[in-house]
Amino acid sequence: MNTLDHQLSALKDALAAETPPTATDRAVAAAIAAARRAPRRSSPPAADRWFVWPLALAAAIGALSFIVRQAPPDVVPEASAAPSASFMPVVPREELARTGDAYVMPARMPRMALAQFGLPVNPARAAEPIDAELLVRPDGAVLAVRFVN
Amino acid sequence: MPPSPASLTDRAAASDAALAARVALGDADALDPLYRRHRSQVYRFALLWSGSPAVAADVTQDVFVHLLTRAGDFDAALGALAPWLLGIARNFVRRRFAVPESPVADTDLPATLAAAPDAAPDVALVAQQDLERLRRAIAALPPHYRDVLVLVELAERSYAETAAICGLELNTVRSRLFRARALLAQALALDAGDAAAGAA
Repeated sequence: MNTLDHQLSALKDALAAETPPTATDRAVAAAIAAARRAPRRSSPPAADRWFVWPLALAAAIGALSFIVRQAPPDVVPEASAAPSASFMPVVPREELARTGDAYVMPARMPRMALAQFGLPVNPARAAEPIDAELLVRPDGAVLAVRFVN
Repeated sequence: MPPSPASLTDRAAASDAALAARVALGDADALDPLYRRHRSQVYRFALLWSGSPAVAADVTQDVFVHLLTRAGDFDAALGALAPWLLGIARNFVRRRFAVPESPVADTDLPATLAAAPDAAPDVALVAQQDLERLRRAIAALPPHYRDVLVLVELAERSYAETAAICGLELNTVRSRLFRARALLAQALALDAGDAAAGAA
């Protein structure tokens, strides 16, 4: 180790215990509290209603059939159906807050699932699966979903 | 309703990606364990980059407030949370010093580094003096060299992570690090020479 390496290592050691001042801790805690109080823009569907998903899927299939009948495939470009960039909850916020550990899992879903979240589907690609990420609890319950390319 | 102690324990053990996803879903309390995990390295990065504890504190706050509102932008498939946060910290600290993000040619190497400000007169220990001189020399490096030096040598980020954070090619990170070290060694040698001349 040369002199510069030695000095950089000494500087790293000297700074190892540096932490932000308590004023920063308080400011971030205040931001968290403010965000906690802020109203949610929309409430997600209840997860304990087991019939919601089949009904939603049936509705999506119906909507998809309607779209296929009404418009030629090239009228609904997939580009306008940008997959969601962030997770969309499938359980109530209260349940999310109650949930402790959770994991992000990659998944592949029928493209029609996009319709369940109000996202447009290109009928020409309806048969193709779409990549997604699921936020799941250790017991396997899905908390949220995000569609990726 | 405040979260139960059990859920707090679980939350503390959850992965960065899961916590970030929950922040994105509106669970603001999930930010707390993320802040505790990453605040120190974000603060140290900003401190080394800026040389100012006040700026470092402000940047640290900005980074985590940004995470609170834009957690959905984080994609765990593209990398870990820590480098993502350091990238945000880099943007905030550069903005404070009005450093443009425009590409910089590596041929823009100055002949010599600008002289570091004078050392405080009452620094007692030589070791402390050396560290202070090194910190000032790092803070005086041109920003594009300072980025890679602080990230690789002091924040212990890999070349690949540094390249992702700074939006550079891997080879550019290597060459900039080489030049940053050369500039630093040069500045420290000059500074040490000045100090010796002043003492004589």
